[in-house]
Amino acid sequence: MSSLTYLDAIREAQAHALRDDPRVFIYGQDVGNFGGAFKATKNLAKEFPGRVIDAPISEDAIVGLAVGAAIEGLRPIVEMQFADFSAVGFNQIVNQAATLFWRTNIPCPITVRLPFGGTSGAGPFHSQTPETIYAHYPGIIVLTPATVEDAYSMLLEAVAIDDPVIFCEHKLLYRHLKAEKLPTEALPIGKARIAREGRDLTVVAYSAMVQDALEAAKELAAEGWEIEIVDLRSVKPLDTDTVVASVARTGKLLCVGEAWPWGGVTAEVMARVMSEGFGLLDAPPQRLNAKDTPVPFHPNLWAAHRPTVRAIAAAARKILRQ
Amino acid sequence: MPSVHIIMPQLGESIAEARVVQFLVKPGDNIDADQDLIEVETDKATMTVASPCKGRLETFSAQLNQSYAVGAPLGLIDATPEEAARLGLDAIAPPKSCETELLAKGDANADKSRVRPTVRGLPVPANAAGASYLSPRLKARMDELGLHAADLAGVAGSGAAGRVTVEDFEKYIASLEKQKMSGASTMRVAVADAMRRSWSRPLATVGLPAALDALLAHRKTCEPKPGPALYALRALALALSENSAPAGRLVGSKIVHPSAIDVGFAVEAEDGVLVPVLRGADKKPLKALTERYNELVELARQRRLPPDATGGSVATVTNFGTFGLIWATPIPLPEQTLVLGLGAGRKMPYWDEAKSQFVPVMEAQLTLSFDHRVLDGGAAGRLLQRIAQLMQQPEKL
Repeated sequence: MSSLTYLDAIREAQAHALRDDPRVFIYGQDVGNFGGAFKATKNLAKEFPGRVIDAPISEDAIVGLAVGAAIEGLRPIVEMQFADFSAVGFNQIVNQAATLFWRTNIPCPITVRLPFGGTSGAGPFHSQTPETIYAHYPGIIVLTPATVEDAYSMLLEAVAIDDPVIFCEHKLLYRHLKAEKLPTEALPIGKARIAREGRDLTVVAYSAMVQDALEAAKELAAEGWEIEIVDLRSVKPLDTDTVVASVARTGKLLCVGEAWPWGGVTAEVMARVMSEGFGLLDAPPQRLNAKDTPVPFHPNLWAAHRPTVRAIAAAARKILRQ
Repeated sequence: MPSVHIIMPQLGESIAEARVVQFLVKPGDNIDADQDLIEVETDKATMTVASPCKGRLETFSAQLNQSYAVGAPLGLIDATPEEAARLGLDAIAPPKSCETELLAKGDANADKSRVRPTVRGLPVPANAAGASYLSPRLKARMDELGLHAADLAGVAGSGAAGRVTVEDFEKYIASLEKQKMSGASTMRVAVADAMRRSWSRPLATVGLPAALDALLAHRKTCEPKPGPALYALRALALALSENSAPAGRLVGSKIVHPSAIDVGFAVEAEDGVLVPVLRGADKKPLKALTERYNELVELARQRRLPPDATGGSVATVTNFGTFGLIWATPIPLPEQTLVLGLGAGRKMPYWDEAKSQFVPVMEAQLTLSFDHRVLDGGAAGRLLQRIAQLMQQPEKL
């Protein structure tokens, strides 16, 4: 393999999990012979007969079956065609899966894969980033890998964890992010990563926004600013220590998220930094999110709706000039 | 006119590139926003690339039958200035949240609506910037080092509107370390703290000369001999017992009147100043005060003042004349409104109308520094006149 995409990493991680653990199976709409809506399970049905199973068009039933299988000792991986559709399985995720261990002492090791995030022209039903909603519920782990390596290692770890995991895969990264090889080691879940070191400003981001923040940092480096980028990797648990330590170095904070601005991961990061690191701030911390409207269809509107490289750089400049 | 790139769009979730099949317009053509410009083909379907804006087609950089990745530039459009502005190519627009837009809109319509919004925003500083703004981090760092805002005087700020950033501060601290430094005494630090707090008020000083001959003559008849400052202190106490308003303290919108005329006096001790207090100085004659005064001076110099002999006074007397000074503008203690100063006595020519000639008199300058929020020059002047008058009649003190 000369070059692997983020999507390849997800497929490889699933193949690896199926190979290593007989309790693992994949369940979702068209995941079998069709290979999944995005081809994330391509050829897996052939390689692992009877363990990559097509589901009816009912997210509610899909997650419900996975919870039942988990109770019986299996480790299901559920694929939602789009993160937006997980709303149909919401009850099973937040009321059943999230509370199972709390109620019965029986673990619920299910992994729900959500192809999430906006792509041009995808509109309101195929672009959402619902990580905030799932992170709100105790009992659920929410992962948002931003690199090919993390997509692989974090999915493997998600399957191994005894708690329900919402695994958010960014559709923009699927085919455009590439790596030379799969990783042999990784940071543990719950640990953020310093994606770029800098002394002037901390930018906290996750998922695809990490890539945009890195681009913005390049632009700002040409102007003499050194931006530190913290890739959260996992939004729940949230690695407050790494974020606060970074703010201790830079004194300034910008949180970037593709989700809507009301509440959410960026707001949570801000709240934690302000209560635990108020005395570290040398400028009012800021956050940058999508606009507070449904996701527009038109490519121009979509580009204006979500934070872009340019918007991140502009928001950073504003803080840097304080 | 600004050039805008034609970019290979994201044509579908699973599509990474597309092949150019046909150009639908040619360079020089006027084009509309969203007009189809290029026909491209993927392994699934034929689609079109639309114009991002209105303008004139400058050039196609893409070649026929070549494949281009999503995001690759395919050509350039000469956009109209209005279009460039709309696309944000003219300036960097600050990101605006939807909520602030709604609020701004709400304000504009506030006059038209019958129900006015009750929440109009909190009284927070409009701009967290400016020379006097200290960020939480800077405050925390200064607390750590035991520094105050006054210590930043002279630091050039590089932040917004000249505010001192943490970086400026650290550079300043580093520069200080190159100079010789010695530790300030606890006393020095305490005085500095009191003066800094006091200086947060608008202070003013008035002064007038007072003849001391009668006072000095009276002093010779006393045993033990009261110092000139004690005469001034007793005169001040009597004047305040007639009208205590000038010694009131302003707290918010209230004047807090003194409950007793306890008057302090400044005593230089080592590396600072102590202020022992004579309680009820208006109630006891000069003779009765003298012994206690002398006792307190001695205790202050030994720095052994009992707790009941400090604090809670309504005004202070300072005899800066002992340093040979004629005139000074002392600063009242933070919790006081008044400080009475006494300059050095010296022989001065005084025009005697009756004799039609100059006669020598022993004269000293009296100063009264005051919190201008509580009283004005007139009230301060009248109080000082009354003190000078009382000092002319020492036998009544």
